[in-house]
Amino acid sequence: MADRAIKLLIIGESGVGKSSLIRRFVENKFDDNHDVTIGMDFKSAIMNVDGIDYKVALWDTAGAERFRSLTPSFYRKALGAILVYDITNRESLVKLEAWLAELDSYSDNPNIAIIVVGNKIDQERVVDREEGRKFARKHRALFIETSAKCDQYVSDVFKDIVEKIVSSEYFGNGNASNGMTIDNVQDVDSAPSTCYC
Amino acid sequence: MEELLNDVVPQEDLERFERKYYHELELDGEVSTETKFEYAFCLVRSRYTNDIRKGIMILEDLARLHPDGRRDYIYYLAFGNARIKNYSEGLKYCRAFLEIESNDQVRSLEEHIKKQSDKEVAKGIAVAGGAALVLGGILGLGIAMARNKPKREK
Repeated sequence: MADRAIKLLIIGESGVGKSSLIRRFVENKFDDNHDVTIGMDFKSAIMNVDGIDYKVALWDTAGAERFRSLTPSFYRKALGAILVYDITNRESLVKLEAWLAELDSYSDNPNIAIIVVGNKIDQERVVDREEGRKFARKHRALFIETSAKCDQYVSDVFKDIVEKIVSSEYFGNGNASNGMTIDNVQDVDSAPSTCYC
Repeated sequence: MEELLNDVVPQEDLERFERKYYHELELDGEVSTETKFEYAFCLVRSRYTNDIRKGIMILEDLARLHPDGRRDYIYYLAFGNARIKNYSEGLKYCRAFLEIESNDQVRSLEEHIKKQSDKEVAKGIAVAGGAALVLGGILGLGIAMARNKPKREK
């Protein structure tokens, strides 16, 4: 049995809500101000899956360009990556392609679990849900849309990816060697934003 | 915060950015702001106090000369100082940062430094208190012995 610690990375463009998702999940707080992350930040949470506690280490990275050359060492030993874009900003989804390339070249885990998250569903949508889903499917990643502000589906992000990691070979429960992930693409089908916060 | 402060830079990162730094220094006689920052960012996360001090010096320089990237420099100045238990300096930089910009990450660092520095103070008091107790004990013993002495003489 491997250590019951799970390292997760959160990456994506600046301002898409990476820190907000973590903050909502860990502290159940939200701040309308955009506190720009410097370098990287860390928070942790205990998550229980099937009666077993896992210590989930959440490494939040700065989206800012100047840290691009500095953050790769944080990719090491990550079991999962949360790729975040902003559904009001198409460019932020397009740029996920580059973030994935980055992940590919720096991650030392070829079976790293990935979830694509379209954040800000409390705001006017520019990117169709289908576009995000397609992107995720293409990269054999899980997919979900969230609102950190209104606390919609935020905990599902972490639950989905941790469950996927826990059920993978890494924790010795190996039925999937990451080949069948396409079928796994999980999706919370929901009515469009009905949030009044 | 503890984990973040305890996370040590991989040696190969430190060496890579160190090489880049000295390469530029030798080739051009000066080092670009970006390279200076990269090197300092690695140094302040080093295992060794001397590296951290060196990183702090570079960051102080950067903060003075390049106001545009200041928030990054100030944060890592607070961070580096916290790692070498230079708590008053660390707090100074946190406060300087928060005066300009509200930031959750910096507030967490500030809180952590405050807690650590309070702990040190408490430890100091405990040590001083312990010393006072011992001293008091010795004095008491001395007094008791002095008092006992005449009795025995009788």
